[in-house]
Amino acid sequence: MKYVIDSGPHIKDDDSTALVMNRLLIALIPIILFSIYKNSFLVLVEGKYSIMQALYPIFILLIASSTSILSEKIFVHILNKKYGYKKYKSYFALFPGLFLALIIPINTPLIIVFLGALIASIIGKMLFGGFGYNVFNPALIGALFILTAYGTLIASNGGYLNPVEIDTIATSTPLSNLSALNYVGTYEKVVNAYGSINSFIFGTIPGTLGEVSKILIVLAFVYLVLFKVIKWRIPVTYILTVFIMTFIIGYNNNLGIWYPIFHILSGGLLFGAVFMATDPVTSPVTDSGQIIYGISLGVLTVITRFLTSYPEGVLTSILTMNMLVFLIDRLGVKVKFNIKKIILPLTLMILLSFGLSLYISNTIKDTGKKNDRVQIINKEQSGSKTIYTLTTKGWGLIEAKVELQKGKVTKIEILNSSTETQWSEIEDNDYINTLINKQSDIENVDTISGTTRTSKALKDMIIAVLEDYGD
Amino acid sequence: MLRGIELDGNKDISIKRDILDMSEQINTLYVPLVNHTNLNCKCLVNVGDVVEKNSIIGMREDIELPILSPSDGTIKEIGECLYMNGDLVPCVVIEVNKKSKTKKEIEDITKYTKDEFIRLLKDNAVVGMGGSDFPTYIKYKASNIETLIVNAVECEPYITSDLMLVKLKAKEILDAISATMIINKIKKCFIAVKSNNTIVIDSFNEHLLSYSNIEIKTVKNMYPMGWERHTVSAVLNKKYDRFPSEIGVVVSNVSTMYAIYKALKYNSSISKRLITFTGSNIKKPINVLVKIGTNIKDIIDEVGIKKGRELKFVVGGPMMGEALLSENVIATKNMNCIMVLKDEDDLEVLPCMRCGRCDQICPAKLSPVLIKDNVDNSDNLRILDPKKCMECGLCTYICPSNIDLRSYVKKAKKEVK
Repeated sequence: MKYVIDSGPHIKDDDSTALVMNRLLIALIPIILFSIYKNSFLVLVEGKYSIMQALYPIFILLIASSTSILSEKIFVHILNKKYGYKKYKSYFALFPGLFLALIIPINTPLIIVFLGALIASIIGKMLFGGFGYNVFNPALIGALFILTAYGTLIASNGGYLNPVEIDTIATSTPLSNLSALNYVGTYEKVVNAYGSINSFIFGTIPGTLGEVSKILIVLAFVYLVLFKVIKWRIPVTYILTVFIMTFIIGYNNNLGIWYPIFHILSGGLLFGAVFMATDPVTSPVTDSGQIIYGISLGVLTVITRFLTSYPEGVLTSILTMNMLVFLIDRLGVKVKFNIKKIILPLTLMILLSFGLSLYISNTIKDTGKKNDRVQIINKEQSGSKTIYTLTTKGWGLIEAKVELQKGKVTKIEILNSSTETQWSEIEDNDYINTLINKQSDIENVDTISGTTRTSKALKDMIIAVLEDYGD
Repeated sequence: MLRGIELDGNKDISIKRDILDMSEQINTLYVPLVNHTNLNCKCLVNVGDVVEKNSIIGMREDIELPILSPSDGTIKEIGECLYMNGDLVPCVVIEVNKKSKTKKEIEDITKYTKDEFIRLLKDNAVVGMGGSDFPTYIKYKASNIETLIVNAVECEPYITSDLMLVKLKAKEILDAISATMIINKIKKCFIAVKSNNTIVIDSFNEHLLSYSNIEIKTVKNMYPMGWERHTVSAVLNKKYDRFPSEIGVVVSNVSTMYAIYKALKYNSSISKRLITFTGSNIKKPINVLVKIGTNIKDIIDEVGIKKGRELKFVVGGPMMGEALLSENVIATKNMNCIMVLKDEDDLEVLPCMRCGRCDQICPAKLSPVLIKDNVDNSDNLRILDPKKCMECGLCTYICPSNIDLRSYVKKAKKEVK
């Protein structure tokens, strides 16, 4: 009897990488269907938009996916021609483009979608050596390229809002809105501007094709974890970190539990945490590495959302952490042999996130509640005039009387400015009159460099008076 | 948490039939001159010499462990034979020539001193029969043994030789355990059995009442629960650095305990053992009692092979067993299973997608994927510590991209030596 030999084992688990990727696709299908329902079907039934406008999201999906598939096949074909037959193979070519389509603004011009998918597949994936060898998440590389190179073009094309939303909501995505509100706002302004919290859960808010329906993303998460497709520790620690940090920030600014929930349900966080951060190829393989990775992503996302002008933060956080995966896994290996090795990095991470939360709490307190500096001491009516007596905080305390007539500031009388060091600058610039003249556009009155603090205090005073009068 | 996985046991197929005794039918025995990792022991006989059962025919020189004849007979040839790891090793070929002899029995097998016990184990070449072939007397030399763990876990799928032995010889094994405990002043013995292995549990329970301080400890049905570290951890919830003796524990396989019984009771080495013949292409899956030195080719017709294309002949279990080209492999004390099975269609090997399953499952807490990435970088390998690998094969088993991770880790092991 003749036998074949191999190195064994002689039994094999019947799961395969192809099946894993199929399950990933299955998890995406409801999300894709919902995005077509929301951005195509609902636009179409509105009646007043063209077929082209309604079908636009479908074009994005098709162009991105087919560009990825074709570019990868062609790339592999060229390499094989050059280096010998069948040396290179194309695996799961669909995904970079498909994911790209799900995370870019829905008004991205199709030619830019094509370009993004090409970059995602060729630069993000194939140039690293193809499936399994890429350091960065390919779709995110494509998206980063699109958003940095063509961000303004896309914004002028409508950005993240579908035609119906442009006509009805008129502002921007919830996160841009929050950013414009200086991160602190009432439930009405932050959440109810988009319907209710349910709109966030079910996905009837503006956003990219993939990211809006949180309920479907959560269902996909459960499915993907049960069927062993994704590393559950990453999204769980990621979301939890963002939740705790924004909870602290919200708490310190007297905002309710809705504030951290809003942060979790807004933008690409949930989609990014479940689908992009868990991309197996570009995330850590060790248990503890995945935890450190998730926490780091959370911290970076919060930093980006609050401390930069960029309202989102998921994309850049994941790409940044992609770079550090090999270091994190090195730590993960040491932790496996000696659990104590995780104590120091984990403690540092936790301290860092708490410290940052407190720091952010304070900075947004300063910007968001600027009129804390202004105190109205007295408000009296005299004929058609309303006279405010108030103090505002510059270097010292400035006391002033402000007169309003028919809602307009007519006179500002400084009662005491003796504690101010640079008062002459204010007078030289005739800043008081500038404030009176430009009160209708008060937000855009520049402060005076050289005496920023004092001029800002005066400006805030006028804002406070106008707001108070308005109420 | 012990890492591992519940595998489909497939043990039923080979325990439906009673054992097949082929120990007296074979007339030519090939005794490999090997022990444990020493594959070239010294030959002490010449062609034409007449030997008796238990005569010394070879010697592992570094520790002076004898290799004994499994039968009376005449030396026919000093040659080479195929050992279960796939190597050709020197062997003594014996033409069996059975003399009728009455066995000398010892009434009370507890009446040995510890030194006599160790001498007896060494002279009768008692070795680890679970697969290691490690000389057993060395383990019992430790002076501070408090606990004896008898390993009856048999965690590899398909293999049932230990199960059948316990079914037949539970009383003898318990006698050996009891004597070993008295001689070595061991306070407590646990017999580790998989929780679903009711046959072994029932067989021991039938006799257990008359023994004190021996307890059956059921462990989770998980591969590789029979790995010494896992067994000790599951039974005692204790860890050790290199050897169980550090924490006052000795672990012996249940078939080794039976070999100890033979040594204590008859001052004889074990000359037969049970080997499970199983797998999808064995017509009659069964446990066969064979003489040590039997050529498996002489047995295989008795169990029958379902012909087929691309068959694999595996010595050992499906996880750790070695696929061989030939059936001419020799039964040794540490051989517990022969499998003939269909070769799976060649599975395409995909690039690693870094799902981390090998990292999650590795019982030794290694990261096979990272070891594979760094297989040529000995500096990085030192951190990854591939020497901890005991080659259970779970990383290759679980890999969805069909990467043979175990081979990479084996290579890495050599790299860091």
